[in-house]
Amino acid sequence: MAKLEKPVSIIKPVGYCGGCGHGVIQRLIAECLEELGMADDTISVVDIACSYWSLEALDFDAIAGPHGRCAAVATGVKKVRPDKTVYVHAGDGSSYVIGLAETCYTAIRDIPITMIVVNNGIFGMTGGQLCLATTLIGDKTLSSKKGRTKEQAGQPVDMLNVFKNFDVEYVARGALYDAKHVDQTKRMIKRGLENQRDKKGFSLIEILSNCPTNWKMTPVEAAEKVKNETEKVFPLGTYVDRGGAK
Amino acid sequence: MHSDYMLMKGNEAIAEAALRAGCRFYAGYPITPQNEILEYMASNMEKWGGTFIQGENEIASMSMLWGAAAAGARCMSSSSGPGYDLKQEGISYLSSYNLPAVIVDVMRYGLGDGEITEGQDSYWQAVRGGGHGDSRQIVLAPASVSECAALTYEAFHLAEKYRNVVIILSDGAISQMIEKCTLPPTYEHDKDKFDWTLTGKPRGVKKNKVTNLDRTIGREAADTIMKEKFVAMFENEQRWEEVMTDDAELVLVAYGISSRVCKSAVRQARKEGLKLGLLRPISVWPYPRKAFEKMPDCVKGYVTVEMSLSTQMGEDILLACKHSKPLYGHLTGVRVPTAEGLIEDCKQILAGKVKPVEVL
Repeated sequence: MAKLEKPVSIIKPVGYCGGCGHGVIQRLIAECLEELGMADDTISVVDIACSYWSLEALDFDAIAGPHGRCAAVATGVKKVRPDKTVYVHAGDGSSYVIGLAETCYTAIRDIPITMIVVNNGIFGMTGGQLCLATTLIGDKTLSSKKGRTKEQAGQPVDMLNVFKNFDVEYVARGALYDAKHVDQTKRMIKRGLENQRDKKGFSLIEILSNCPTNWKMTPVEAAEKVKNETEKVFPLGTYVDRGGAK
Repeated sequence: MHSDYMLMKGNEAIAEAALRAGCRFYAGYPITPQNEILEYMASNMEKWGGTFIQGENEIASMSMLWGAAAAGARCMSSSSGPGYDLKQEGISYLSSYNLPAVIVDVMRYGLGDGEITEGQDSYWQAVRGGGHGDSRQIVLAPASVSECAALTYEAFHLAEKYRNVVIILSDGAISQMIEKCTLPPTYEHDKDKFDWTLTGKPRGVKKNKVTNLDRTIGREAADTIMKEKFVAMFENEQRWEEVMTDDAELVLVAYGISSRVCKSAVRQARKEGLKLGLLRPISVWPYPRKAFEKMPDCVKGYVTVEMSLSTQMGEDILLACKHSKPLYGHLTGVRVPTAEGLIEDCKQILAGKVKPVEVL
């Protein structure tokens, strides 16, 4: 078996909570870029929330887009630097709630970037409030202390069912709760980056993650919740693959 | 006709000058009376090799701008009234990130949806920071179509000089009038010329992190850079025009469309033996305080001439003259002032029949 090397693009440890999926995602991005030989021409755009840590952890030119605006910031970067790899690492609140218009219109314009959206069902950085797009019915948060109800906040939305209607390159959802799914998710990220390398259009990869701190669970319990509850509302798989499987 | 002169609208002059200044990224959203800027960019940006995007809203347009600015492009957006409200998130962020960009505010009159006609009651909004937090933007106010072109051209240079947002503060009248316009030469901007931009660098080369309040150097150091920038802009970038102020008894102070009327009023008044002068701020931030320092002793007072209900610029006049002279207001609200009305007002002021402004 080959020895598993840490990607050289990861240059410093940062402050993700124990058991959080962001660090895994950050590592997968670095691994994919290096394996594809694309790490030398990459510009990253991170959400000002939890994924901000990735700006410091990874050895790429980077900009922190404010909450909700990452896709639009990335559009500006990609238009000026069309030959570079531009990826977004952002949360579900940023991409699907406050920034839904920006994410939708970046997809509708088919801007050739790779957008990685972390669906952890909560607003993590602000301390654990409800995320309108992804918090499951019944889940308790700081702004839904008795558990989310439809009457209070509507139901969570599978946004990939929205994005699959747009003429984009690739839309897929992965998860991180076991090695098999980490591997599947890595292939999805790689596909999104390859599309950019091949001058194809917009790719969006949503990743079901967890937030043990704000879910008030152990990392193992949080992973079980994703597997047993979250995945039922947000099914895994490929929603759009315009170019078709290779 | 010489190719560097054209008959054009104020808005078109702004757009053409931006392209000639090397602006290669424009994102904006339609709103009257600035639409010709967006339309001109839509029609002409491609042949200059740049990007035009009609944003889904003003906020997204501004977000695209800071991505483009961080990647090294000269970039611009424009709006008016309610749309400019939405621009302010982006202005605050661009300022925080020390990113250069040119934003055009073609003022329209009124609160809320207001009117689509000329106005000057967005002065405070334009000169007092431009968004949440403590920031300063250079604000240039053209009074002719040629000046729309000249100031826009210069705005890109100033934006880069200070790594700061520069605002062109026009209004519905200046934006829609058609005049002969002197156009600037073309300038090719090199998007790789700065060491702080995002270029996508190979391994082993130090990477750039473009962040809020520059978190890479710490808050204290970032604040110091910001404060030094405020002082440098204030010291170096005050601009104004004077008309017959040397022996003036009353000095009219006005910018943009109102200043054009004032210029006529001064000439007309002089024929009647009335000693009026005009001080026209071209930069409304930094406010041209240096101009007030050398006003002659014979000046009995200043008259702020503004299309607003409050003496919005009047506060700056009193600060600039250190409250040494009384301030009178000729505030016309939704109407463009007239030379006749102004002269009549000035006669009343000199006769001691008008009180200085009561509400600042």
